[in-house]
Amino acid sequence: MNNAQERHYLIIWLWLVVLVGISVAAASALPKIQALVLIFSIAIVKALLVARNYMHLKNEKPIYYAMALVPLAFVIILLLGLFPDFVYHVTKP
Amino acid sequence: MNSQAAAMSGVETPVGKNGTWWFLASEIPIFGGLIAAYIVMRLGSAGWSDASSHLNFNIALTNTFLLLTSSMTIVMAHAAVQNSALKRGANFLGLTILLGLGFLGMKAFEYGTEISHGFLPSSGIFWSFYYGMTGLHALHVLAGIVVNVVLWSQAVKGSLARHPHRVELAGLYWHLVDIIWIFLFPLLYLA
Repeated sequence: MNNAQERHYLIIWLWLVVLVGISVAAASALPKIQALVLIFSIAIVKALLVARNYMHLKNEKPIYYAMALVPLAFVIILLLGLFPDFVYHVTKP
Repeated sequence: MNSQAAAMSGVETPVGKNGTWWFLASEIPIFGGLIAAYIVMRLGSAGWSDASSHLNFNIALTNTFLLLTSSMTIVMAHAAVQNSALKRGANFLGLTILLGLGFLGMKAFEYGTEISHGFLPSSGIFWSFYYGMTGLHALHVLAGIVVNVVLWSQAVKGSLARHPHRVELAGLYWHLVDIIWIFLFPLLYLA
């Protein structure tokens, strides 16, 4: 068994746990908007830590990044497309 | 092994890995669409914070810990099986299964508490989203557990030695389930 590999996975897990702790602390300690920005930034960092280290994306071919990012781009387009209707209640005259 | 399978074993990227990534890519719009709809609906209407305050934060935090830990144990199972340490791989797979079952048990308890307090999927749009998103996620956890149980039994019997890459494929799926929870937790319990 490769001890260095196991140690690396353990360190990533520790980072993930620490980041969860920071998110929870931010939710109760910071003003709402600042807390939300920090919490979701941390969620993105945690997802990247899992994807790059546990899913080994950092050692994979670019095609796998594309397979993850293209559907994500569609979701973001959907989110932005729905925003005017639901958040600002913009309707056609 | 037939000639096509023999030829495939020599290629750099296994077909199963490409197929798994395609499958994972198809999961992103499913959960991404739900999350996008949740965000715009929540930003566009008031009163959702009151509804979310009835959720059990401590259970969700424990579940976050269980899933993050299970991601580590399954990647360690993959590393062990790759290094021909089947018994160690089986132990890590067994631990992953237990952590997944722990997650589902906690979720079932949380659902029971909420339902006993009268919060049903029909109780409002927040609850519809809550049960829809977490229920679909729990089904994915259950599917992952079934796959892990099959691999664990193969590891115990020793037949997994011929197909070590299967643990990697199961791990890819399990990590996606973990990533989805990484976003569901703050969306539902912290925001």
